[in-house]
This record gives sequence, C-alpha cells and structure tokens, in this order.
Amino acid sequence: MSAAVAEHDDHHDDHEHHDHGPEKGLLRWIITTNHKDIGTLYLFFALAMFFVGGTMAMVIRAELFEPGLQFVQPQFFNSMTTMHALVMVFGAVMPGFVGLANWMVPMMIGAPDMALPRMNNMSFWMLVAGILLLSTTLFMEGGAPAGGWTLYPPLVLQTGKALPFAIFSVHLLGISSIMGAINIIATIFNMRAPGMTLMKMPLFVWTWLITAFLLIAVMPVFAGAVTMLLTDKFFDTSFFDAAGGGDPVLYQHIFWFFGHPEVYIMILPTFGVASTIIPVFARKPLFGYSSMVYATASIAFLSFIVWAHHMFTVGMPIAGELYFMYATMLIAIPTGVKVFNWTATMWKGAMTFETPMLFSIAFVVLFTIGGFTGLMMSIAPSDFQYHDTYFIVAHFHYVLVPSSIFILMAAGYYWLPKWTGHMYNEKIGQLHFWLSTISVNILFFPQHFLGLAGMPRRIPDYAVQFADWNMISSIGGFIFGASQLLFLYIVIDTIKGGTGEKVTNEVWEDAHKHGLEWTLPSPPPYHTFTTPPTVIPTEHV
Amino acid sequence: MALGLETAQAEYKLNLMQGVTKLSHDVYDLHMLILWVCVVIGILVFGAMFYSIYYHRKSKGHQAAQFHENTTVEIIWTIIPTLILVAMAIPATKTLLEMDDVQDSDMSIKVTGWQWKWEYDYLDNGIHFFSSLDEASNKARQIGSGIDPRSVPHYLLNVDHPLVIPTKKKIRFVFTAADVLHSWWVPDFGWKKDANPGFINEAWTYIEKPGTFRGQCTELCGKDHGFMPIVVIAMDQPDYDAWVKKTKEEAQKGPSLENQSHDELVSKGAAIYSKNCSTCHLPDGKGVPGAFPAIGGSAVVKGDINAQANLIINGKGGMPAFGKMLKADELAQVITYTRNALGNTVGDEIQPKAVQEMLPKTSAAAAKPAVVAEKAAPVADMSKDELLALGQTVYTSNCVSCHQAEGQGNPPMFPALKGSAVVTGDINKQIDLMLNGKGMMPGFGHSLKAADFAAVVTFTRNALGNSVNDLVQPSTIQKLQAEMPAANDDDED
Repeated sequence: MSAAVAEHDDHHDDHEHHDHGPEKGLLRWIITTNHKDIGTLYLFFALAMFFVGGTMAMVIRAELFEPGLQFVQPQFFNSMTTMHALVMVFGAVMPGFVGLANWMVPMMIGAPDMALPRMNNMSFWMLVAGILLLSTTLFMEGGAPAGGWTLYPPLVLQTGKALPFAIFSVHLLGISSIMGAINIIATIFNMRAPGMTLMKMPLFVWTWLITAFLLIAVMPVFAGAVTMLLTDKFFDTSFFDAAGGGDPVLYQHIFWFFGHPEVYIMILPTFGVASTIIPVFARKPLFGYSSMVYATASIAFLSFIVWAHHMFTVGMPIAGELYFMYATMLIAIPTGVKVFNWTATMWKGAMTFETPMLFSIAFVVLFTIGGFTGLMMSIAPSDFQYHDTYFIVAHFHYVLVPSSIFILMAAGYYWLPKWTGHMYNEKIGQLHFWLSTISVNILFFPQHFLGLAGMPRRIPDYAVQFADWNMISSIGGFIFGASQLLFLYIVIDTIKGGTGEKVTNEVWEDAHKHGLEWTLPSPPPYHTFTTPPTVIPTEHV
Repeated sequence: MALGLETAQAEYKLNLMQGVTKLSHDVYDLHMLILWVCVVIGILVFGAMFYSIYYHRKSKGHQAAQFHENTTVEIIWTIIPTLILVAMAIPATKTLLEMDDVQDSDMSIKVTGWQWKWEYDYLDNGIHFFSSLDEASNKARQIGSGIDPRSVPHYLLNVDHPLVIPTKKKIRFVFTAADVLHSWWVPDFGWKKDANPGFINEAWTYIEKPGTFRGQCTELCGKDHGFMPIVVIAMDQPDYDAWVKKTKEEAQKGPSLENQSHDELVSKGAAIYSKNCSTCHLPDGKGVPGAFPAIGGSAVVKGDINAQANLIINGKGGMPAFGKMLKADELAQVITYTRNALGNTVGDEIQPKAVQEMLPKTSAAAAKPAVVAEKAAPVADMSKDELLALGQTVYTSNCVSCHQAEGQGNPPMFPALKGSAVVTGDINKQIDLMLNGKGMMPGFGHSLKAADFAAVVTFTRNALGNSVNDLVQPSTIQKLQAEMPAANDDDED
C-alpha cells in the first residue's frame, strides 16, 4: 500500500498540472476516491440529514406545543422520536464528523489522501444505502420502528414489517462506520509527514484516532445485539425472552456497552475541533496539550466501564449500582480537565470573536451545563428520580445540540473559506450564531424544569401542569429550526462566492502556526501534499 | 374519591419535588447538594471565562500571553474535583443502601405492567385489580375530541382504580411485567423501578400522612405509554381496613352467570370493547395493519366461537390474556359483540356460563375466595396421594410462573426446584422459607390455606424430579401459620 502511494506521489510530482483533476459531471461524485470529494459528500449528506431529523423534531415539538393530541397519533409520535434519534445520530452527527475527518485529517498530518481511498468511497455509499433503507421504513405496513432508538426488546419486536429492514440498515451503518474508522486509523498511523510525531498531531487528529478505536470496538457489539433481535423475532431464539430462558435486560447491557462509547464517539471529535479553533482566535497556544490527549484517552477508556448508569432503575444488585455510580462519577475528572484547559487557553489571550469562535465558546459553556447535569445523574439515588424524564432529554440534548452540532457549525465556518476559497458573510454568520444560541436555550433549558417536575420522556401528551414550559420549549424549537436555514443559505452563498473577498492561504491571523491545512492554497488543489511538508507547525503542542 | 379534597390540577414546578417519604427527602437533599456543587463550580469557571472574554480581547488591545502549561495548576484542578466527588459519593452510597433494603416490610404488593395498565396484587390479603387511565382523560386525549384537557380534572394523571395503601407501614413492592418493559414512578416516593417481563424487582416505601400521589409509566412501552398513569392513595389504618373489607366483598360477588339475550350481550359488549379493545383494534375495529389485526372480517372472529374465546382468554403473541382481566359475563358480552358488530354478522353468541368453564382457575373471574378464612377450623390429615394431587394444582397456580412447569426454574433469578438443596433438604427449613419468603421468594404463609400449603410442599419433594419420600400434614402447617405474626389485613376476616 505504501509503495502504491509513493508511486502515486511521484507521478504527481512529475505531472503536477496534467489531467488529474476530478471526473466531469455526476460520475465524479459517485466514483470518487478523493478525500476532499468524499469529505464534501459526507458533509452535505450530514447537512441534509440534519434537516430531515430536524423536521421530525419539529413534528414532535408541534405535537407537544399544547396538551391534548392535535396532529399525530401516539404510534406515529413514537416513530418520530425513534427516527429523529437514529437519523440525527447515524445520519447527521457521525457522518458530519467523518466528513470533517476526510477533509482535514490528511491535510493536518501532511498526507496526500486517506490510506484506503476505495474503501472510503464504499463506506460513504453504504451509509447512504443504510439511511435510505431506514427512511423507507416510514412507509411500511405497521410504520417505522417506534420503540425508541435504543430498540429495547420486547417492545421493538412488536414492530411491523419494518423490523428486519431497520436491523439491516443498522448493519449497513455499522459496516460503514467500521470501514471509516479503519481508514482513519490506517491513515494516521501510516501517512503522517516526516516529523509529525503522534504528540505533535493537532488535537482534532488525536480525538479522531481515539474515536476510531471506539467505533471498531463497539459497532460489532451493536450489530450483534440487533442480530439477536432478528433471530428472536424470526428464528425462534430466546436471547431476550424470559419465557424461553432469556433476559430482556441482557439486551440493555449489550446495547449500552455499545451505547455509552457511542455517545463519546459523537463528543470526542467535538473536543478536538474546539481545541483546534479556540487557540487560533485566542492567539495563544492550547493550554495543556498533553493533558488534553491523556484526558481524551481516559474518557474513552472510562466509556467502556460505565454503561449500566443508563440502567440504574433496571434492577441491578446493589454492588452493581455502587460500582457504576462510582465509575461514572470519575468521568467528571478528565472532562473537568478539558473545560479548565479551554478556559486557561482563553485566559490572557488576545481574543477575537468571529463566528467559529462564538460557536466554540458557546460549546464550552453549554457543554459544561450538560456535563453538570451528567454529574447529577451519576448520583444513582438522584437518578432514580431523573431517569427517563425530560431532565435526561435536556441533558443529552445539551451535550449533543449546543455541543456536537454547534461544533460542526463552528467547523463549517472555520474551514469553509479554506475549502471554497471564499469568505462567508460574517454578519449573517453572527446572526445565525445568536439566533441559534438563544433559541437552543429556550428550547432545552425549560426541559430541565419539566423533568424535575415529573414529566416522563417519550410521551405524546402530558398533564396540564407541564403546558407552559412545553409551549416555551416548542417556540424555542421552531426558532432554532428556522435559524438553521440561515446556515444552509450561508453554505450555498459561500460556495458561490460569498462576500467576494479573496481569502489568503491562512484565512485566520497566524493560523499557519496552528495547522498544516493553512499552509495550503485556499481552496486547496484537488491533490495536496503529494510531497510531504517539511515544516511541522508546533504552536499547539 | 379524593378529587374533592385538592385542586384538580397541580401547579407547575421548577425543581424536584421533595416528596412524602424519608427516601424522597434524602434524594432531594442529594439533588440539592450536587446542584449547588455544580452551581458553585459553574460560577467559578464561567466567571473566569467571561472575565477573560471581556478583558482579554484583541479589540481592547490585549496582548496574548504565550504560556501553555502549568503542571501545578493541572494537578490542583484534578485533585479538587476528585475530593468533591468522594465527598458526594459518601451520602449517595448511604441513601442507595437504604433504598435497597426491603427487609422487614409489613406488607407486599405485586405490581405488574401491562400494555397499557397496571395490575396490583396485594400478596398478603389477596386483593387484586387492574388500574387504567380514567374515562374522562381517555375521552379528552383522542385527536379531535374537542375536549379541553384543562377542563379534565388531573388530565392523564387519574385512574379508574387507584392503589390504596396504609400509612405508617413499610410497604414492599415487587415489580414485573406481562408483555414489554414498563417502569413504575411516583415522584413523591423518591424512586422509580422498572417492571421487566419474567423478572422481579423490589422497592419499598413508608408514608407518614394520608394523601393522593400521582405518577406515570416511565419506560417506553408502546403507543399508549403516555396513558398509563399511577395513582396511590395512602390512608390511615382504620380507613384502609374499611377499604380492604369493602373491596373484598365486591370481589366475592363474582360474575353473573345468568343467560343473557343476544341483544343484551351485544349492547353491553360495546362498552367493554371500547374500554379494553379499542386502544389496539381501534374503535371501528379496523386495527393497525402490521401491528394489530382488524376485527372486521377477521378469520378468528368469524370462525369457531370457542376458538375465539380461547384466544381472548389465554392471549397469543401481542394479544394479552383477558381471562385474567375480565369476568366471564364481560368476556361473553365482548366476544358476542365482536362477532355481531364492527362489520361482522356471524349471528351467534356465547353465554357467561360457557366462558366460565373455559377460564383458568386463578382468573379474576373465579372471584378469589378470601384466603386463610378458616384459620381456626381444624383440618383433616390427607393421604400422600391426595396431597400430591392437590399439590400439583396448587403448584400450577402459585409456583409455575417463576419455577416453571417442570420445576426447572429460570436461573439465575428463579432457582430450579428439581434437585434443589432446599427441597431435598430439611423439610422444616423448606416450610419456613415458604411461609416467610426470602429475597424474591414471596412468603406464602398468609396466602395459602394449610391444606394447600402442605400439599405443595409435599408435591415439590416428591415430584418434579425429586423423591425425598416424606410429607407434611395440613395440621402441622396450620399450627405454624397460627404462630406467624398476623398480616395487616387478614385479622379482620
């Protein structure tokens, strides 16, 4: 493989200006093996799914606008919560970060492309197939899966015709993720430019390396769990059926052994992007680079040994409850280190507040709030009250929407000028930021109150004492949803030329000190670093 | 019943409720403690961040410092959170251990989750009923009902039959489910517990003052997950005793087995259909293709009436066993209704008597006799064969759901009886365990008659693959039962 790459490189060195641009027309996007093209495909797909999943969220918030059922039947409502989660997790957030990895990892480590370009193409198209298959279940007899994204048996086994299709789509998504992860690991381990030692890699590359290992470790576990669902339903096994000697709680253990690392799969690259952006706009090196690396690794390790904190009320032996409570509390320590490091990076900097920085700061603040509620939930006796209420909904949306999604937005604003060679409209960007940040808090903060006051999650209708905060939350949701159209506009506008201002190679002041990508032209040529760079930026370490 | 005593809707709240038990107060205190810890850390971190954002900005001409690590600081902000966490873990552990301790309870109630209702079994006095969403909420919650939820008292938080418990008693709850996962949550008690099919969970409460407490199912359990509330009414002991007496009297009435006219069966069946069947099969009987079959034109409904009755009584797949929930007359009415309405015109009927004969012996329709009523009456000795025959029946109705038909159990939760050390060991120890219960094993001392008890002990020791070859006579058990501390409610009988 390395020989092939080397040969490729030579080839390019000799014929820099020859015919090695992209294919013309639509076929370019279907057969491409170029990391930039595939990154673009992933990012657009993620954006499209963000709007699909968002539309489902709007259905949910519309139904919850007032007490009583107004628009949808309970079964369809449950399909919406289930599909919203699956589409957002597997269709929007994960592909969003894979898209960033495709674009940025080779450019950040000075590699010409991903290590396994054909597999790269295949993993993208399997993702599309998986999500399309999942979407078709909406139109099947019995409706789309409605047992929650966790697919808990026995309820999920009551799904109509959709069940085997949903399970197969999970298999496709899993294979796609595993191939993507293998590719990232192979690229990072084999294709770093000379001098780019592991401890000089940008944190985004580090966090993705760790995330990729998490993916390879847990995706097969999830595939195994859903396969057992399949055989329970169609082949008379009884893995999760007590009447046949099985155990429905076993599924929950297997699921969360996948599920907890899975939520970190969505947050670790988020940490990486934040650690990349904040130093640039604070004009100061990242505080505690190596402690950031170790904290990320610690969080990844802990993610494997805390899964049953999602199951405190399931009926575990007391020793299990105590162990999972203590282990979960430990996560607060490396997570705290990260937040302190970001704060210390800003401290005594010379900050400017362009849109990427605004989104990153909002991430640090709002992620910390989500972290606080996470710490509260680690206290098992308190979790007996919080569990399966809107308090939980508020918690995980704080660590997903104004965290992962905000950082995907920040990354978009940060790298769009590099990708397109055009500057985005800063005014509309800031408008998008303020509308998003204010509305996301109107949307999710009241859900803490709802949960503490006793509103269970996943219900289509509620007692009238929950009416006021639900209405406020829905209004926040509608504003947040509408605001994201601004982002779509900005992306299209920037691709078309943006402000018309020609951006420099480094786009942001002194960015070249922070990452190799800023040493390349904006936009970068179709093939970059066909010869490895000689100077490795070390500002961040 | 309690509606007049309080406002018809709760006020909205911002914070966790303190609840009405010691446990719920402990949980509230933990919640407030960790909340304040978070608030203080938040003020410090966000304070530093916003100070920095305000003062350390380029537009103010601030020059960036270039420091990028400080081992001392990093050690400090690793150690301090660790200490805070240890300090938090201590009270949390204490509360957790206390919540886990279901020992020395005064009474036990078995809670079974169904799609979408709760079943309550008072293990000590045999009271048994189902509890589902009240009629007014159910009407108002339909799409296009035109009823303002605000006009419905305790909209979605009211039930037809509330759970009634005494105050100042340690009440042990055991949870299981009949179909899918459910979770039983009354916020005022300070905890929720999952109800898992095939498994038993435990929790307890102790309430000081009478009151009405409301909660909901909190584990997604299908389309009507949002519509299976919980209402618990705590009463002082005399009121509770009166309630027990009244409820038992009502239960003893049993079904009316009189023949009914075809039209009467159909017209009464309509109401039963709407309450029990229309959630899944829909009010017009069209069902939900792929999930819930249509009644109109159904091969089952149009086929053999006894086969249909059998399916409804015993359930099949997603269809629950209604033999447990409805009485013989109600079953006859609803069966006749489905065959002659909702687009079907079979023209036949089934009478309550015929249904009664098809019902399993333990069903609600068989009207549980007041157990252990004849404590004082002397009991005759029985032959071993008599004991074994009776024991088989008692085993089938009381033990199989956990220990299984062949006594193979369901390890690890439910031990096998076949070859069990307890069953093949000292008979007195086995009797003691069965009288008083242990862990998940309920005590049967108060719920089985002396003869039944002796029979099932003898049965387990000489059947199910065991051959200890001894027996115990009802009179022995009767003496032991007489020595047991009285259960709360039985001393009234």
